[in-house]
Amino acid sequence: MASRYDRAITVFSPDGHLFQVEYAQEAVKKGSTAVGIRGTNIVVLGVEKKSVAKLQDERTVRKICALDDHVCMAFAGLTADARVVINRARVECQSHKLTVEDPVTVEYITRFIATLKQKYTQSNGRRPFGISALIVGFDDDGIPRLYQTDPSGTYHAWKANAIGRSAKTVREFLEKNYTEDAIASDNEAIKLAIKALLEVVQSGGKNIELAIRRRNQPLKMFSAKEVELYVTEIEKEKEEAEKKKSKKSV
Amino acid sequence: MAATFFGEVVKAPCRAGTEDEEEEEEEEGRRETPEDREVRQQLARKREVRLLRRQTKTSLEVSLLEKYPCSKFIIAIGNNAVAFLSSFVMNSGVWEEVGCAKLWNEWCRTADTTHLSSTEAFCGFYHLKSNPSVFGSCPRKNMQITILTCRHVTDYKTLESTGSLPSPFLKALKTQNFKDPACCPLLEQPNIVHDLPAAVLSYCQVWKIPAILYLCYTDVMKLDLITVEAFKPILSTRSLKGLVKNIPQSTEILKKLMTTNEIQSNIYT
Repeated sequence: MASRYDRAITVFSPDGHLFQVEYAQEAVKKGSTAVGIRGTNIVVLGVEKKSVAKLQDERTVRKICALDDHVCMAFAGLTADARVVINRARVECQSHKLTVEDPVTVEYITRFIATLKQKYTQSNGRRPFGISALIVGFDDDGIPRLYQTDPSGTYHAWKANAIGRSAKTVREFLEKNYTEDAIASDNEAIKLAIKALLEVVQSGGKNIELAIRRRNQPLKMFSAKEVELYVTEIEKEKEEAEKKKSKKSV
Repeated sequence: MAATFFGEVVKAPCRAGTEDEEEEEEEEGRRETPEDREVRQQLARKREVRLLRRQTKTSLEVSLLEKYPCSKFIIAIGNNAVAFLSSFVMNSGVWEEVGCAKLWNEWCRTADTTHLSSTEAFCGFYHLKSNPSVFGSCPRKNMQITILTCRHVTDYKTLESTGSLPSPFLKALKTQNFKDPACCPLLEQPNIVHDLPAAVLSYCQVWKIPAILYLCYTDVMKLDLITVEAFKPILSTRSLKGLVKNIPQSTEILKKLMTTNEIQSNIYT
């Protein structure tokens, strides 16, 4: 059945599937993991950095991008598609600011990106965008937001979510560990993001990139050293927890 | 030929018949020169599968099976299954390479068939020094075969959507003579097994050899830590129990294997 109805985006299958959209979601799974966490006063984006070839300039391989001063996003999937979507979103942010004299809300720009993606699932001759995005930021009212979009053009608000390779494993970890205590302080929220990534990242802290935004402050990208500090702290806490466990059992 | 609305070109069926054309083509085909025949024979010779003794060019005249009788045969197909075996099973105990199978076909990158290095061997045979009855390659009595392989989760046919499946997950398929329980659910219909694992399992079923195939459905086909760890429940089965001693060390070895094998493409970020 799939082989007859999956060639064109504008064709439904008899049981209601849009196979090209579902295949686009498979393309997203080929990208490395990205996780987003909404804390009380902070939003955190963590991504698994893919290893860069020796002669490649690392700076050009970025998964976390700012869309405006107060909104940023991380994506997973086809790099080229992401570049196009990010460019369109950035232009829209500035256009909105010039027209309405207000910066975009996180929900507005997410809806714009989602609408753009949906258009490409309904045009003949075009394929859907093969990316999912996690969009974070603070609105004027000071409330932190996290949204996720996918290739079908749907978007939802989340407290914490993951996209890309092994997203399911990370999401299950977040479901177990996202508690009010865990996001009570900024540091705890950052540690939760790193812990979630360490579940699936293959070579530890040096392959993690982190970005945070605190209320009324610009986007901050963590350096490798800062990430390592957090990773060391997490490992210490783990050891202590294991020691306590073994003491209790004895 | 016809072009469809979607831009693909398909061969339109014609009832008027193309018999004349077919006959002409056949005649031309039959006019094969002796040269063509020789080239074809040369290619066939090149493509022969050769079993070689340990890192040498001497072939194993006596069938490996008779030379190294064994009770357990484990075969891993695919990079994740091989990584699992090499880091968990082959790092516990001392395994000795007994031989390898080399083959060549037109898709191979080297043109030289006589000097293939051992790293280009298609299949390596190892036996456990401390317990030579464990090895791979001998369909004789009292032998049990375990096959490990991976498949993409989108090949798994189910009513649920693939997004909701807990991938990676294990499924098993066993021959009639395999009496032990599998450590995971059996593969349900209408799913089928393909390629080499299917061939091995069919052979075992026909020759009444107890064999079990563990198939890991994953959404990451290249070498991946989570996929390899999905094979871990197999270590508790009777066939592999006792072969693996040090699991934490194996996990470390696996992580090293990951870092050395990372070749990333730029298409997906």
